[in-house]
Amino acid sequence: MSLFLPKLSCKKDIDEVIKTVAEKVLVLRFGRDEDSVCLQLDEILSKTSHDLSNMASIYIVDVDSAPVYTRYFDISYIPSTVFFFNGQHMKVDYGSPDHTKFVGSFKTKQDFMDLIEVIYRGAMRGKMIVQSPIDPQNIPKYDLLYHGI
Amino acid sequence: MGAFYCAICRQTSFSGKAHIFGKSHQSKLKVVLVKFLEKVKEARRTIKTPQVEKYDCTQHQRRFWCYCCGVEVERDVTDGNLTVLFGGLLEHMATPEHRKGTHAFWWENKADPKLKGKFIVTEEESERFKTEVAKALESFEEKEDELIKQQATLIRAREQHRQEVLQSLTEPETELEPSNSQDPCSSVEEPSSSHVRTPGSNEQAGHGRVDRMVATQWAGPGKGLTFIGYQDLSNSGNVHTGAIPPWLQEEPQEGGSRATEQEIGPSLQDFLKQKEQEKLKKLPPNRVGANFDHSSQTDANWLPSFGRVWNSGRRWQSRHQFREEEGQTNKRKRKRDHRSDETKKPTLTNNEHN
Repeated sequence: MSLFLPKLSCKKDIDEVIKTVAEKVLVLRFGRDEDSVCLQLDEILSKTSHDLSNMASIYIVDVDSAPVYTRYFDISYIPSTVFFFNGQHMKVDYGSPDHTKFVGSFKTKQDFMDLIEVIYRGAMRGKMIVQSPIDPQNIPKYDLLYHGI
Repeated sequence: MGAFYCAICRQTSFSGKAHIFGKSHQSKLKVVLVKFLEKVKEARRTIKTPQVEKYDCTQHQRRFWCYCCGVEVERDVTDGNLTVLFGGLLEHMATPEHRKGTHAFWWENKADPKLKGKFIVTEEESERFKTEVAKALESFEEKEDELIKQQATLIRAREQHRQEVLQSLTEPETELEPSNSQDPCSSVEEPSSSHVRTPGSNEQAGHGRVDRMVATQWAGPGKGLTFIGYQDLSNSGNVHTGAIPPWLQEEPQEGGSRATEQEIGPSLQDFLKQKEQEKLKKLPPNRVGANFDHSSQTDANWLPSFGRVWNSGRRWQSRHQFREEEGQTNKRKRKRDHRSDETKKPTLTNNEHN
């Protein structure tokens, strides 16, 4: 937040952003500003946002301010990053159990930039799910417990 | 008579030994002896105070040519770890074979007899040398031990200093952040002590902590993530169950705000839209969402993806289940409406499987 990334504070704002950001990857980080892993992730996001400005728009969302979205995306661990392209939710296979979002922080800025590029290229070619270029060792591990089962 | 090779002139002469008395031979002999004498003098200097040094493979295996014996001799004596400089030379010169050789050399080449004595090492001299060498070795070892002890104390002092600095750094941190993952922090301290390169400055404590936090994160990535609880799924669906995304759910407020926004500067909006459209034409036509109709109205049945991530089996079966959950009667009603409206409404091309 203090790292100059635009912040969305209500559901309406998020809706608008999803519907209006066109021809660029939309990155929504769900988390809390005080959390340490979120801070690391925010640093990476803000440092790369200028370089990726032609390919991606990055926004910060506080997980307590839009409970609808938190429920919809089943966000249990923060930070979680969700990707959209032209109003379509993009799924990425990171080698982790959940393809709908990226949980945790990236190890390096280059990892994040590679991921954005892969999503952008995949979306440009009509793919709605892409393979993550990040080394599986650098993907944070977590236990995914599906509540319904 | 016959062929005779003179090693000093490096020539074969057929006139017997007459050439030895000639000028060229004698001058060459002098040069040779002078050079040789230099080396021997240096070696003699060390008889009284032998030099013992640590073995250096580049310098301590030099050989020299003993003219008297016609043999190559090692200059230094070494046992792999230490060397006694010029030890080899002196040892060789003490041997009786060398004495005989020297005498023969002088007789053959008619060299200056005064110099002969310098090239031989007498027994007394060699005895003295040996005792001196023993003493020198002892003192050398003592010096080595001292050096090692000094280095050990220095290393211990440095280690102690580092430990103190680490403790002083972690104490203020334990007061500030008790809730954070403390165990991985303290357990990773030992291996990450090498990361603390500038000890003693408390201003850098915070920065050091962030570094260590980064280090701990990648030591165990799963531990650092904050868990914010299970999300309640009972009322509404999920991205995994294929529910309606929140940005497609209609809100009561939306209609009013749209009207007010559109009133502001329409011509400008149109102009900008026109510019955007020009850009869009350059983009690949088969990208995701290329034919996304931004103006279309969406209803509850917009998304056909049924999710069912956790199921195996045919997509048809998950679709069937989804329809059952929606309710058979509602589905039939919607189907009838859809059939009448299909021709009028534009839909996304990927959206066909109804």
